[in-house]
Amino acid sequence: MALNLKQELSSPGGLVKLLIKYNTILIFVLLVVFSAIISDVFFTSVNLSNLLKQVSGIGIISIGMLIVILTGGIDLSVGSMVALLAVTFAILVNSVILPVAIIATIVIGFALGSVAGYLVAFQKMAPFIATLALMTVARGLAFIYAKGSPITFNTAGGEFMSNFANNSFLGIPNIAIVFFLIVIIAMVVLRYNVFGRLIIAMGSNEDASRLSGIKVNKYKFLVYAISGSLAAVAAVIVASRTNLGSPNMGMAWELDAIAAVVIGGASLNGGKGTVINTLMGVLILGLIGNILNLLNVPSYPQQVVKGAIIIFAVLLQRFEGK
Amino acid sequence: MQNSNSEYRVEMTGISKSFGVVSVLENVNLKVRPGEIHALLGENGAGKSTLVKILSGVHQKDSGKVLLDGKEITPKNTHDGQVLGISVVYQELSLVNDLSVAENIYLHKLGASKFWMNWKELINDAQELIQSLGFDIDPKAIVRDLSIVQKQVVEIAKALSEDTKVLILDEPTTVFDPTDIQKLFNNLFRLKKEGISIIYISHHLEEIFKIADSITVLKDGVDTGSMPTSEIDTDGVIRLMIGRELKDLYPERTATIGSEPIFEVRNLSGKYNLVHDVSFSVRPGEVLGIAGLGGSGRTETAKLIFGEFAKKSGELILNGEKINTKSPVQAVGHQIGFVSEDRKEEGVFLPLSIRKNISVTSFDPISDKFGFINTDVEYENVQSLIKKLNIKTPSSEVDVKNLSGGNQQKVALAKWLSIDSEVILIDEPTRGVDVGAKVEIYNLINEVAEKGVGIIVISSDMPEIMGIADRILVMHEGTIYGELSKEEFSEENILRYSIGEPLKVTV
Repeated sequence: MALNLKQELSSPGGLVKLLIKYNTILIFVLLVVFSAIISDVFFTSVNLSNLLKQVSGIGIISIGMLIVILTGGIDLSVGSMVALLAVTFAILVNSVILPVAIIATIVIGFALGSVAGYLVAFQKMAPFIATLALMTVARGLAFIYAKGSPITFNTAGGEFMSNFANNSFLGIPNIAIVFFLIVIIAMVVLRYNVFGRLIIAMGSNEDASRLSGIKVNKYKFLVYAISGSLAAVAAVIVASRTNLGSPNMGMAWELDAIAAVVIGGASLNGGKGTVINTLMGVLILGLIGNILNLLNVPSYPQQVVKGAIIIFAVLLQRFEGK
Repeated sequence: MQNSNSEYRVEMTGISKSFGVVSVLENVNLKVRPGEIHALLGENGAGKSTLVKILSGVHQKDSGKVLLDGKEITPKNTHDGQVLGISVVYQELSLVNDLSVAENIYLHKLGASKFWMNWKELINDAQELIQSLGFDIDPKAIVRDLSIVQKQVVEIAKALSEDTKVLILDEPTTVFDPTDIQKLFNNLFRLKKEGISIIYISHHLEEIFKIADSITVLKDGVDTGSMPTSEIDTDGVIRLMIGRELKDLYPERTATIGSEPIFEVRNLSGKYNLVHDVSFSVRPGEVLGIAGLGGSGRTETAKLIFGEFAKKSGELILNGEKINTKSPVQAVGHQIGFVSEDRKEEGVFLPLSIRKNISVTSFDPISDKFGFINTDVEYENVQSLIKKLNIKTPSSEVDVKNLSGGNQQKVALAKWLSIDSEVILIDEPTRGVDVGAKVEIYNLINEVAEKGVGIIVISSDMPEIMGIADRILVMHEGTIYGELSKEEFSEENILRYSIGEPLKVTV
């Protein structure tokens, strides 16, 4: 990495190229500077800690979304999965010991993701359709199991999780630490692991992958299962933050996750995208919301601004590679 | 033409063009008379495509002058070019897969003239145009369902659908078999008589000498000469193209061929294609050629062996043991490699680096049990392959899309050399590859054979297959019609078997 950077800097026009290549980081830095200038509350630890807590849930599912998008697929079910799995976790935490509840939720997430993976990889269903169907199924199941209303944690295990989710370690919210750990693992896997290499290869050219003897179906299956597992982790975190599991959680989160991945420069055709840029995408989206809140902009105009910034970010990426 | 007295139809003088810091063309001249077939030659990356793209309006020149019938033109896009009467058939097909043949041919007119389309007229016109080219394709057929040869014909028909003054053909025959090539040539001669200027880009020097009136050679973005075809021979052209003598295109075969077959195919038939009862064997160190016309089932046979297509029946025997290849995964597991004829779609990963392309087949030896890659070993392996194959690149981190066709093909091959393949199937080893890289690829095939690998080469290029194979099987209508030993190699014999005729008996 360091070597690459040096090489790129020393090539003609290197600095400009670098800035374009890492434009999401640039946008992020600009937004931070801008936020710091217009609001004196922005750089307080309370605000930053809130910001990190807010983005962690969506951040975690965005990493799953990135992995799916890298293969050229998409996972629309993650938002509803968060709701279903948050309800599941709330039920479990009230009935079994905490470690079992956490592990069982993640296993169920893996299983739900596997359904999408099976439909896409082995039944050749279009990812958009398969996960769209699962999206409504998961949301429906969440309401059924929760009987329409949120399920509050009422055990010691639940209390422990609630404390964990709302506390910090060395000033960083615990749930943000979980998010960052997942980011680091994903970075390492995508860069140094065969799994990462192969899903990027598949996304950039599925025919060539198959003809190189890659088990294309296995990896397709796995990315959705991983996305489901990450939705489970996100569900545990968001449920713990609010001390309850509600079927209304994760509403439209799949769209925020897709937006974060796309702002991060990933191609919906697959094969292109990095974890660090997706992280920037998540933080950019979070920052926009945060600064608009600090400026007391009501929520409807916020949506307009958010959309406009997504368009701007993606337009900027068109300079890349030119 | 009528309003000028210029000797030349096209006159490009002092053309220079660079992309960023890379200078592609420097002070290049190209002059083409009306009713002339003018060959544009040069290795891949010499700037031929860029030059014609400047003429047709895809690219804009940095400096120089372009005259059409003595008048300066500056086409800003391909539409401008078309209006001026400059039509191009590109190397990469540019058809819309989901539309019909007729719609594709008249795509530029659809929507331009009237609100409603006259389907009947459209289809009739398309039918006439295709028939005038001597081919038979249903104008209502959807392009997706056509063979690659038919697509190329549609592409040519599309180029001729307007009043064309200059027709540019970029490697038009790479997908054609000899009979189709002859048809294409007849058409070119007809168009030439009609006064159309034809700029013909090809790597096939035999073709050039058959049809071209004059030649312009480019080397590294500079034109090294223009002359009538009659004043130069193949060796002379090659000298101009690569700047050195090319004693022998096809290397001496040095591999010692084993006695027992390494790989055998018995009664192979496809479930969903025309391939039936194909049987043959290949010995270690042997280069087995498979010839035949387009559509005779050569590629399908290779893909059946490789597990890409479903088999109906048949046995594969590797090193005396029966193997099963239900998928490419299994084939690769048995150390069988396959290099596709369709490099860009099936061979390489264009947006990925050379390193990532090459290691995609060979993670097992360089990763631990959790799949973490030892990148130092990976770099070393890739570096040594880049060196061995003489892939021209500043580093292993360059994206494959930025390499020339020849170097891309080497990357596609490298993938199978990085693992110890026992059998390698190579479909069209040098399609769209320049002369210099061709020789390197032939040498490479030779070297790999020396290691005792069984190599099966499919090729439409007859001199090539005769030059590199030890034995040639000729396919006709889905099965092997005949086998030629080295003494029997000739274009005529291959062609006879290809069309299902016996060889002439010589007493």
